[in-house]
Amino acid sequence: MTMRDGTTTGETADFEFALRIRDLVKRFGKTTALNHAGLELRRGERLALLGPNGAGKTTLVRCICGRSVPDSGSIEMLGRTLPPNGGRQQLGFVPQEIALYPDLTARENLEAFGRFHSLKGGDLRQSVDWALEWTGLADRARDLIKTFSSGMKRRVNIACGVLHRPLVLLLDEPTVGVDPQSRDRIFLMLEELWRQGNSVLLTTHQLEEAEQQCDRIVIIDHGRAIAEGTLSELIASTVGANRRVIFTLAEACPGLADFTINDDGRELVAEVEDVALELPGLLQKIRENGGQVADLDVNPPSLHSVFIHLTGRELRE
Amino acid sequence: MIATVVRVGLLRMWHGRTEILLTFVVPIAFFTIFAFIFDEQIGLGKSPRVDLAIVDEDSTELSREFSTALAQWETLHIYAPADHEGGLFVFSSTEPARALILGGTLPLAVIIPDGWSASLTGSVDDTVDLRLLADSSDPVAIQVVTALLRQTSGRMIAGRVQAQVRTFLSLSPDEYENSPISAIARPVAIEVEDLFAADKANPVVSMYAAGIAVMFLLFGAVGNSGTLLEEEENQTLDRLMCSDLSMIQLLAGKWLLMTVVGIVQVTIMFAWAQLAFGVDLVGHLSGFTVMTVVTAGAASSFALTLAALCRNRAQLNAVAVILILCMSALGGSMVPRYVMSESMQQIGRITFNAWALDGYIKVFWRNLPLTELAPELAVLTATAIVLFGIARLLARRWESS
Repeated sequence: MTMRDGTTTGETADFEFALRIRDLVKRFGKTTALNHAGLELRRGERLALLGPNGAGKTTLVRCICGRSVPDSGSIEMLGRTLPPNGGRQQLGFVPQEIALYPDLTARENLEAFGRFHSLKGGDLRQSVDWALEWTGLADRARDLIKTFSSGMKRRVNIACGVLHRPLVLLLDEPTVGVDPQSRDRIFLMLEELWRQGNSVLLTTHQLEEAEQQCDRIVIIDHGRAIAEGTLSELIASTVGANRRVIFTLAEACPGLADFTINDDGRELVAEVEDVALELPGLLQKIRENGGQVADLDVNPPSLHSVFIHLTGRELRE
Repeated sequence: MIATVVRVGLLRMWHGRTEILLTFVVPIAFFTIFAFIFDEQIGLGKSPRVDLAIVDEDSTELSREFSTALAQWETLHIYAPADHEGGLFVFSSTEPARALILGGTLPLAVIIPDGWSASLTGSVDDTVDLRLLADSSDPVAIQVVTALLRQTSGRMIAGRVQAQVRTFLSLSPDEYENSPISAIARPVAIEVEDLFAADKANPVVSMYAAGIAVMFLLFGAVGNSGTLLEEEENQTLDRLMCSDLSMIQLLAGKWLLMTVVGIVQVTIMFAWAQLAFGVDLVGHLSGFTVMTVVTAGAASSFALTLAALCRNRAQLNAVAVILILCMSALGGSMVPRYVMSESMQQIGRITFNAWALDGYIKVFWRNLPLTELAPELAVLTATAIVLFGIARLLARRWESS
């Protein structure tokens, strides 16, 4: 696969990381929004950035895209330290909001943001035509954005951020408020860019998106990265690989010491390494104690359980 | 980059027809209302007409002559009931006229009392004076009518004196006119020569065009600068700051857009003023152009500064309305500064409305050459530069929050 900077996947480039953030600190008065935050987005990688509300994601995103100046620390992109403002030609930023001009047409929006990214003449026309095809909105090119559905606006929102064909994409919750069909379409679009060699940093609250669409995951809380790795690495380092088996009983049954008991004694929870081997024994214990199983649920470890394990159940903000 | 910011602004305006209406048509509508209110009243040697009822209790040849003479004044509109047909209407008693004044229908009624003619000709010992019933809410009308009554009665007395002198000396009209004594009995005449308004189609309307134009320049510019706050709210600013566009280019683009739109706005208004009210725009094109360019530039910088100061669009709108109305009132956009007290005129100079209007007055009213506009051009240009600089400094919050 050929990357847009001329190298191919597998080749050793001058830089290993598309984006490397080290020891970023940002304070607003007495509040520390970023507390030595760091992350590494490898070239050609899709990295999910997760965190509860108020964890520091927005400040981190703002620092990356040059809207906020960190108090200390550094942000490197493609081997080059980014200045506080400007110098982000290789970054394609897609904000969480629909950052478009609603009273311009789709084509006019794309042309405007293309020009702001220094595209001109034939290159601009070609890029705009590509973006309209890519988003599936070529037939709506002359319609005002304010007449579009949420999904269509989201697609144009993404297209305006990648029109100049940057190497690094920063997407801040790109699928908020869209239906499943539009979300699938958006991820197909993003996969196309990734296959062309883009590195993607995706912030999201949709944990299954992070699981399904990203290679690695960073979890940030209280202004710093608290875990980083693939899903299996995160599971192994936090909740473990055990399955969680939940038995719902017809009636409460006392005397089952091997289980965690919830819901007035009617729900029993156990963790097992091997379901096939251990489940029959657990069922037998319940029967021996006079219990009657009405329902049974086996849950594999998930990103959700990892996330809750790391950040707690307490509500934020 | 700057051109793209301007292009985006113009395209947005083009797609938002309501905005075009608000930008270009509403100021014209406001100006037209002001022009109709003040047209042909101030500055052309004409005064607003005063409604007046005449009550002739004397009912003599002299009192009828006096009533007829009063009706000759253009300034006076002699009251007549709706069903009165032709000729001068006079009340024969005071009560109906008094009722009209108390009811608010009329501001004034002059009463020619019984015995006035006899008193005037000296045929009775007692002096009988004219009386004026007045609604004091219009003190200017009272002064105007009092002066006209004096002038009218003075002319009548002078005429009678002339006739008596001629009869006494047995002089023919020509002999009388050539004799030195005719000058003694001649009423004092005053000829007013207006040095500014005489050769102009309608200079006052041009002052109001300038006043309304500057006020709407400010409103228009603030409306446009608010797009910065919209862009901040919907994260378009984040996207722009991530592009090759710098903050100074963004501000310069917005400034240029507002200035261009402002120049077009003022030009359209003055073009309408020329078409509808005869303001001589074409004859003052060079002065108008320089004044309009610097005024629009200063208004744009002012609007950018306000936008950079405010946290959101609602705050900007609230602050802008208060500031612009105060500046317009003090600066002469609503009421000409020359009718204000000296101290208020001096206070008004802290607003750039005042400097802009002074410049327009020099161009359209005083016909002064461009060199005479130097103080106004200097102040407005400096205002534009300084406020743009302040806006740039304040805009750092969008780069380094």
